[in-house]
Amino acid sequence: MDTFLQVLTNGLMLGGLFAIVSIGLTLIFGIVKVINFAHGEYLMVGMYLTFLLATGLHVHPYLTVAAVAPLLFVLGALTQRFLIQPLMSARDEHVQIFATVGLSTALMNLALLVFGADIASTPSSGLRTSLHLGPVRILLGQAVIFVVSIALVAALHWYLQRTQTGRAIRAVAQNRDAAQLMGINVNWIYILTFGIGAACVGLAASLVAPLYPTQPTSGTYFVLIAFVVVVLGGLGSIGGAFLGAMVIGLIDSLSGFYIGSDLREVAVFGVFLLILILRPSGLFGRKNLAHVSP
Amino acid sequence: MSYRKALTAAAAAGVLLAASGAAADVKFGALYPFSGDLALLGEESYRGLEIAVEEINANGGVQGEQIVLERGDAVDNNQAIGEARRLISREQVAGIFGSYASSRSIAASQVAELSGIPYFELGAVADEVTGRGLEWLWRTNPTAEHMGQLIVEMTVEAIAPRLNRDPGDLRIAIIHEDSSYGTSVAGHQERYGKEAGLNIVTVQAYPANTVDMSSLVLDLQSRDIDVVYQTSYQNDSVLFLQQADEAGFKPAAIVGGGGGYSLQPTADAVGHELIDGVLNADFTQYLVNTEATPGLEDFVSAYEERYGTFPRSGHSLNNYVGAKAILQALDEADGFDPDVIAETMAAIDIPAGQTAAGYGMLFDDTHQNERAAMMGLQWQDGKLVTVYPEEAAYAPMRLGNE
Amino acid sequence: MQQKLKPALASPRGAIGLALVLLGVLAIPIAMDDQFIYHIFVTICIFAALSTAWNIVGGYAGQLSLGHAIFYGIGAYAAVMLTNMGITPWLGMFVGAFFAVIAAIVVSYPCFRLHGPFFALATIAFLEVFRVLALHFRSFTGGATGMMIPLNIGWEWMVFRDRLPSLVIAFGMMLLALAVAWWIRNHRLGFQLIATRERESAARGAGVQTVKVRLIGVSISAALCSLVGSFHAMYLTFIEPEAVFSLTFSIQIALFALIGGIGTVFGPLLGAVMLVPITELARGWLGSGALGLHGFVYGVVLVLVVLFMPNGIMGLVHRFLEPDRKPKAEPEPETVAAEPRRVAPHQVGDDIIRVEGLDKHFGGLHVTNNVSFNLKEGEVLALIGPNGAGKTTVFNMISGFLKPDSGTVSVRGTDGQFHQPVTPGDYAAIGVGRTFQIVQPFASMTVEENIMVGAFHRFTDVNDAREAARETAHRMGLGRWLDSEARGLTIGGLKRLEVARVMAMQPRVLLLDEVMAGINQTDVRRAVDLMLSIRDSGVSIIAIEHVMQAVMSLSDRVIVLNSGQIIAEGSPQEVVRDPTVIEAYLGKEFAHA
Repeated sequence: MDTFLQVLTNGLMLGGLFAIVSIGLTLIFGIVKVINFAHGEYLMVGMYLTFLLATGLHVHPYLTVAAVAPLLFVLGALTQRFLIQPLMSARDEHVQIFATVGLSTALMNLALLVFGADIASTPSSGLRTSLHLGPVRILLGQAVIFVVSIALVAALHWYLQRTQTGRAIRAVAQNRDAAQLMGINVNWIYILTFGIGAACVGLAASLVAPLYPTQPTSGTYFVLIAFVVVVLGGLGSIGGAFLGAMVIGLIDSLSGFYIGSDLREVAVFGVFLLILILRPSGLFGRKNLAHVSP
Repeated sequence: MSYRKALTAAAAAGVLLAASGAAADVKFGALYPFSGDLALLGEESYRGLEIAVEEINANGGVQGEQIVLERGDAVDNNQAIGEARRLISREQVAGIFGSYASSRSIAASQVAELSGIPYFELGAVADEVTGRGLEWLWRTNPTAEHMGQLIVEMTVEAIAPRLNRDPGDLRIAIIHEDSSYGTSVAGHQERYGKEAGLNIVTVQAYPANTVDMSSLVLDLQSRDIDVVYQTSYQNDSVLFLQQADEAGFKPAAIVGGGGGYSLQPTADAVGHELIDGVLNADFTQYLVNTEATPGLEDFVSAYEERYGTFPRSGHSLNNYVGAKAILQALDEADGFDPDVIAETMAAIDIPAGQTAAGYGMLFDDTHQNERAAMMGLQWQDGKLVTVYPEEAAYAPMRLGNE
Repeated sequence: MQQKLKPALASPRGAIGLALVLLGVLAIPIAMDDQFIYHIFVTICIFAALSTAWNIVGGYAGQLSLGHAIFYGIGAYAAVMLTNMGITPWLGMFVGAFFAVIAAIVVSYPCFRLHGPFFALATIAFLEVFRVLALHFRSFTGGATGMMIPLNIGWEWMVFRDRLPSLVIAFGMMLLALAVAWWIRNHRLGFQLIATRERESAARGAGVQTVKVRLIGVSISAALCSLVGSFHAMYLTFIEPEAVFSLTFSIQIALFALIGGIGTVFGPLLGAVMLVPITELARGWLGSGALGLHGFVYGVVLVLVVLFMPNGIMGLVHRFLEPDRKPKAEPEPETVAAEPRRVAPHQVGDDIIRVEGLDKHFGGLHVTNNVSFNLKEGEVLALIGPNGAGKTTVFNMISGFLKPDSGTVSVRGTDGQFHQPVTPGDYAAIGVGRTFQIVQPFASMTVEENIMVGAFHRFTDVNDAREAARETAHRMGLGRWLDSEARGLTIGGLKRLEVARVMAMQPRVLLLDEVMAGINQTDVRRAVDLMLSIRDSGVSIIAIEHVMQAVMSLSDRVIVLNSGQIIAEGSPQEVVRDPTVIEAYLGKEFAHA
């Protein structure tokens, strides 16, 4: 029983990790509606930045978020402005995907060029301490990730619901043309959204780096998982993405324990495919079926 | 120059970098992954070959001719074939040295086989490299089988006695990353383990780029595992050691299978305290009893002088040892005809303890060096030292109460 | 992204260029007689063949598959496994193709509902599942360590000491892929695939069985990839899941097509011919330099190519081949109707459609409530009502686009019996054609090709369809724009195109959804004439219309719908006098009139 509880706890903690990485993608994929294959590389870049700042300035990795999140915001905004926006009017949406594939390849190899293939370890600064909660045990750093991801969901929710810009973002997400007619600068909103999405990844990176080794390929594992999470949660639904991440974390953990660790991906992607096919609006999404035929 | 040749030359300039090298030299190919994911250790392997060649060239070359290495980049399997073809047809190499990665070696050596050009494998560990009965391929390095065998032997001979346990009583788990490397080592661990009467409780694969091994750790914990064999790259070695520690899972012994367990950055990442005592099996490394590995110190100083750093792994050493033995043997031969090379290779007979890697060299009928061997290693005070077998040990194994 | 759909072969310069490229791919390696050059050209052929095959799905059908390595991999594994059992790969490749087709259907069928990025994600997920399963089932696939073939030399085993035979086979495969792609593009299947890509609902309205044509397309594509995979496995002599079921490889296949020109017949070929040698060259320059430099430059170049050449190489080629197209100098057809109007009053026959008790809810909203009516042969029935009355919903239910919650729609077939069609395809088959309120042209197709999609409902042969399309176009006054892209038409032109596409199907019943909205007075008069001439040719019509002038002069009978219910029915004159109608719909102006 204790083992089962621990497996569940591990699943939830893993869910927290997936959530913090995916929330930014919810904005980008859900609102700009671009498959950004470079999302994982944003995380990787953020983790290297955290590593550099934390080891270079000898500060706690969490403090680096003050620099990492703004830097990632700039990276995201630049991506949208100079890579995606020129292709928005392209007749074929495929070209955007390939542009982000190119970006992903370039960033990954840039990291290889600069840092080499070896892992870089950000100091764990006490975050690897185990906390015992009754029969289960979690890492301090994992607990922080879990709590921060909830806080981030709440903050973004507040931002989108209560602020003027947030409403504009939602309007653009729902109907780009109508929003444009109402005088919203759609291009600017897209740049802002992309930037915020990337900044969320920056925040994630500062939390993740002290717990996991950083290497040029660090992002590749996350990028597919993040898409799975976002689709599962329902396109553009931030709370949904959080719940989706929990579901994937639990499936990953349970299948790893009860089925075998080599088939975890089959379980995760299998569930993803089933939901995509049977309930394309996502587990928690409202019926917004622009992306499926009746 | 015929029209056709002129055309070929023109195309060579267009499609390729023109080869450099003086006329009276003998050319060999050096086929390694120099770009892509495997580039780091591919390059490291090549350095060993390069040092061997430079050393021999400095001593007058082979049969009086200077050796020129022609690099080929085997970034993927299709490319390995392309580069092997280029080396053979365009560069007219007398033979090809390679290749670190098993799949590249398997693909490229088939080309060499069909062309009747010797292929010298100095570092790839998969069984299939020599398991195909190729006529023109020789392998000097120890393999996945040697690794699996050594780990089992070390468990029976050294680990169990130090734990005061009967080997058959130890509950053993084999975990490995799911690519070719992990899978083949794990397969041999399982086979030799069963032959030796070990109790192998579970065998589990996982993808090397995973971000979470906690369910695997829990699974091992709930099975009361005493000894874990892990064959892994860097990321997954770090994750496993850390997550096992955090879960309070403390097996009596952890035995790595090369890969991430042989790299200093792994130890630095998990912390020297945590990795202390972790065992490993791999190619000969540098903290070893140098009486068993004559020439090792010279190699290290040559390496440091040439590249300005300490060798990053044992790959360079093993490539160096293999290449040097082959080239020295060729020096005695007459010409570089494939048949001559084959005769020369068949005649090589170096007893153990006479190379810088410690192992000897004698090729069996599959052209595998049957004297090749791995060594048992242990992380002690942040350093990877040789602990097994006894005669090569740099320091005694620290385990149990000893 | 999609190119003009006139194949490059139509221009003599294009044909000569293509012949030169193909000749070069075969002749250069033979002339140079060098193993390595052979290898590069074999690689070119393999990638050209794979990308061409991918393009049938990714380009023609517009479904961005990033899982095509699945089919390549199935071919590779089938050939290697069977070779190890002593069965020649010449046979094994067809076994592989068979399984690839099955996999293609299993993978694609559930995914076709998904659009754009979602389809891409689903194919990636399937690819990952295939890869992990290939790793897992070791006894079957050899697991991570892969599989090899014995080095038996000879044509029988597809393994050669000579270099030429491999090139010949690879070249043959490339030609096969190109020929199939070219054939599809110039036949019904191609038109239907592209129509499906451009506007799925309009394609369904034009009688295209969209799921079926896509399944055919993806099956052909998968079979071709599988054949290439079988050969490539024999060429490599060694396969492993990591290399075969690889996302990078899938992306690369798509990339050649993208850079060459997605959706064009010969773009993928050009992409491979240009890129493979450049990649080799770049690797030579950069590969031995710093770790990661090559990949970095590759990524940056990819981004730049996408940014500055979004139409691919074929985009440039087209600019070279066809400087600009002007509308043909054909006199503006003033008369809309080809035949003079018959003055005699037309005959109204028996029922051709019977609609009984249609109910439909959207969530809590009762959009149609017990709607029943019938349409007689040769009749023009107008369906009017305020916005949101449920008119288009009724249309969707009597053309198969929406399933009613309850109620039935029966259509009298040519056999005289009443049938109850279900899908848009059924409706098209029985002779019910419809237009859409919001015009749905196949934007990247020419006007002629748009209408041909409708004509293909009756004809399998491309020439017959073209003939019928031209005839219809002239009747609809679209003759001078035959070769223009549909996206260039005015709103009036698009409305006429909408009707023309349906008319090319020769429907017995025509459902017109606001074809007169937004067009000027002259056009309205012409449209009324056009419809009457259509009616006189024996077609029964139901028209949703807001333009009262048209309703009054056109219809034999009017049904008024309000809040999902029929509130009035009768002759136009009766209906406009009906006080409930005036109150509910027509408003005060008409009441005072």
